[in-house]
Amino acid sequence: MKGRYEKIGTILILLLPSLFVFKGGYLQEVTGYVYLFLIQGYVAWFLFFKSGQPFFGYSVTMAIGAYATIVLTEMFQWPLFVSIFIGAVLATVIAVIMFLSTSRARGFYVSMASFLLAILFPKLIEALQPITGGRSGLYFGGLTALVGYKTLYLLVIFLTAAIVAFFLWIMGTKTGRILTLISENDRLTQTVGLNTRKYKILAYSIAGFISGFGGALYVNYTGFISSVDIEVFTTLYIFFIPLIGGSKVFYGPVLGALFVILIPELLVPVERYLRIFFGLIFILVIVLLPEGLAPNIQKLLRKMNPKRA
Amino acid sequence: MILNGIITGLIMGGILSLPVLGVAVIYGITGIPNFAIGVIGVFGGFLTWYFLSFNMGIAILVGVVFCFAIGYIIQRILLTPISERGGDSTLFFIVTVSLGFVFEGLMRAIFPRPSISLALPRIGTINIAGVTVEGFKIFALLFALGTLVIIRLLEEHTEIGKSWQATSQNLKLAKLIGIKTNRVFSIASGIGCALACVGAIFWGSLYNLNLMTGWDLGFLGFIIAVVGGIGNIWGGIISALIMGMVMSFSGYLLGGMWQSVILYFIVILVLIVAPKGILGSERSL
Repeated sequence: MKGRYEKIGTILILLLPSLFVFKGGYLQEVTGYVYLFLIQGYVAWFLFFKSGQPFFGYSVTMAIGAYATIVLTEMFQWPLFVSIFIGAVLATVIAVIMFLSTSRARGFYVSMASFLLAILFPKLIEALQPITGGRSGLYFGGLTALVGYKTLYLLVIFLTAAIVAFFLWIMGTKTGRILTLISENDRLTQTVGLNTRKYKILAYSIAGFISGFGGALYVNYTGFISSVDIEVFTTLYIFFIPLIGGSKVFYGPVLGALFVILIPELLVPVERYLRIFFGLIFILVIVLLPEGLAPNIQKLLRKMNPKRA
Repeated sequence: MILNGIITGLIMGGILSLPVLGVAVIYGITGIPNFAIGVIGVFGGFLTWYFLSFNMGIAILVGVVFCFAIGYIIQRILLTPISERGGDSTLFFIVTVSLGFVFEGLMRAIFPRPSISLALPRIGTINIAGVTVEGFKIFALLFALGTLVIIRLLEEHTEIGKSWQATSQNLKLAKLIGIKTNRVFSIASGIGCALACVGAIFWGSLYNLNLMTGWDLGFLGFIIAVVGGIGNIWGGIISALIMGMVMSFSGYLLGGMWQSVILYFIVILVLIVAPKGILGSERSL
């Protein structure tokens, strides 16, 4: 019951910033940006932390969705929604290929292969400059031109909430429980007769599709993408979202996204010192609060209000 | 063109083999993949550049000693305690990348220029089968190979080297026979970072150093070490030389933009086909 309230609470919190649409301006712009990364953060939460799959290619699947949308719409004149769908499907294919091709390797080697793909991909985008724009990037009107910025903002908020609701729902189903079992003990799950490979492919497919769709949404909202936006640090920041926020509670990634994406936006005047601040905070959280911020904030609140505990 | 490509590739590979050696020494002994060593090495390169106008020898010494000290300290106060608490490779990956953020940020905050070139004295040119090569580049290659031989000799013939081997092969037994394993780990980490600094100094003298070079050198060093069989020093060197050639020829044939693409593509293929590298790993990740 408590878990259900936590899930409903998480979705309601996610819907709250839709009110910013009345205020508009910087607050609205930056909230939309945080939400676009929150989608990727929940993909990492689902695939890495809940399904136990050592994948680090989130910026790649996100970028495939984004670039496919622009290239198919602008260069091949495909309808926008078809391009977005194909972009998400392509990201799914890449994620599944990555899983299948590294299935002979174990643990950290799989992480490394996908992490190297995250290093390789922006370099590939730069090498393919005539098509992708390289570091100069590509501009895209997309959905903004179609429905307007405010409607798109609301769409981003509602779609993010829907995606998070989907992840929370799936983790409560039989499939979700099997994925949790795989993450806790892969061999034992096989021993009880479950086809773990099938479930892993399903996990990669879901993660790839939503990450690719999130990438397509990203480029529609920001109206621009370049190799700089998808450099290897993007994948690290996405991974840090559930890690810092706390992967054991449903709303952990929300807290993580506020921390990892919003704080740098607010600290632009002292950008020079940002990496020092971030590096130290990451180390301190990992060493002192390995469960992430959310569970510790919960504990702190319980201490402050012992009657509720 | 072929000979030119081979020579350029060997030199690139030779310089890259220094951070590779750093990764191999640290991983081979401590079992910890340290992704920050490239950034720490380049920080040392920036320090060397800062003091270069005073005296070249002292400047290089400052950079190398600083990197050794940083490597020693981070191992002692951060990485060994995490390892003792049962930290896995993914955790070390995250912690060491975060450390890299700190040092990259420090470079950004402390040094007046984001991109530098180290003006070290040149040794003239040497003619090899009609191809003119800078003497300094040959020196860089020989230095890298010499360092490898010294480390191997140290490992085989000195007490310190034997304690390295014992610690990497059986930690519990090494502790039982009185080896101060924490000290061994810290020294290995210090040496690894110092080697990365020497690599960065050569790189900064032949090309240039900027805030991102550390990540490039560190990641390249790491992936080349993975291809060779992480922790395997010989595998690492062979892999560095091969990868140097791959970079050189892909640069000649396809253009500079494709150098890294081809390199990373090959590394991913190696990881897929032979996850333990060309010569196999002395430890498993």
